[in-house]
Amino acid sequence: MKNQHSIEESHAEHITSYREHFGTWVGLILLTLMTVFISVFGADLRTITVATALLIASVKALVVAYYFMHLKYDPRIYRVLITIVMSLFTVFLIMVILDYLTR
Amino acid sequence: MNHHFTLPNSGHNYDAKASKMGMWLFLYTELILFGGLFLVYMVYRSLNQDAFLLASFNLNVWMGTANTIVLLTSSMTVAMAISALQKGDSKKSIFLLWMTILAALFFLVVKYFEWSAKFEHGLFPGMDHFNQLPNGEKLYFNLYFFMTGLHGLHVIVGGIFIVIVVFKIKSGKVNKDRYQLLENSGLYWHLVDLIWIYLFPLFYLIH
Repeated sequence: MKNQHSIEESHAEHITSYREHFGTWVGLILLTLMTVFISVFGADLRTITVATALLIASVKALVVAYYFMHLKYDPRIYRVLITIVMSLFTVFLIMVILDYLTR
Repeated sequence: MNHHFTLPNSGHNYDAKASKMGMWLFLYTELILFGGLFLVYMVYRSLNQDAFLLASFNLNVWMGTANTIVLLTSSMTVAMAISALQKGDSKKSIFLLWMTILAALFFLVVKYFEWSAKFEHGLFPGMDHFNQLPNGEKLYFNLYFFMTGLHGLHVIVGGIFIVIVVFKIKSGKVNKDRYQLLENSGLYWHLVDLIWIYLFPLFYLIH
């Protein structure tokens, strides 16, 4: 009985509502249309559009990870680990940039 | 004396938490894999800005936009499929998973048409037109085919996993109390979406 109980307990997880998933989707679509709009119609602001496109992409990625991938409701360890991985990638990024800037 | 022997995993051979952590660890390696490719892209683009801009005009922004919307929608349906199964509604879950697979197929069909157009123009690495391009544009197309190709491979693998999950839900092996395989396939599918979120502006939206 005890084992069965623990199995049920481990599945007594947060169930995301359909409404929340739909809301997330609406947000992601709006961000996509925004980034296309800026790129197609804001052609004069070249460097700014690259930065904006990457910023919007990162917001979208965060929304997907946080809501669709359930990080918001998962135990803290998952958020800690993804932060470590992204920090590691940032270190790689900075090292590559420094390398090319100092050649 | 009837000693009851209990296995450490309580004989169920199923550990949702460990399974999920294993999936996430794998996804971290995927992030670093694509992350490395994005670094290569960043360096070559910064060295060949005008060539990348010129080469990017060969891509169709609207096809890319359509595929972005399709992938985002499929991410929603797979997330909803998990909610449905958690609530015990396996029929709805299966329906939502088929919608996800349909989206995956749509994505691949669009990709097929995009790549076919490039082949016709001889833009695949090694083809005549490609060989005459300046180096910067060659780099763009090498990266384009490698990165969207690797991503497309992930779409195929993710789709296969979701098909497997559909049949396991039908046979009852994946159910309300045992849905980690569905959740892991969903996580993988979201990662496919996540990577496309970056591929789309970097290859299609250079203007």
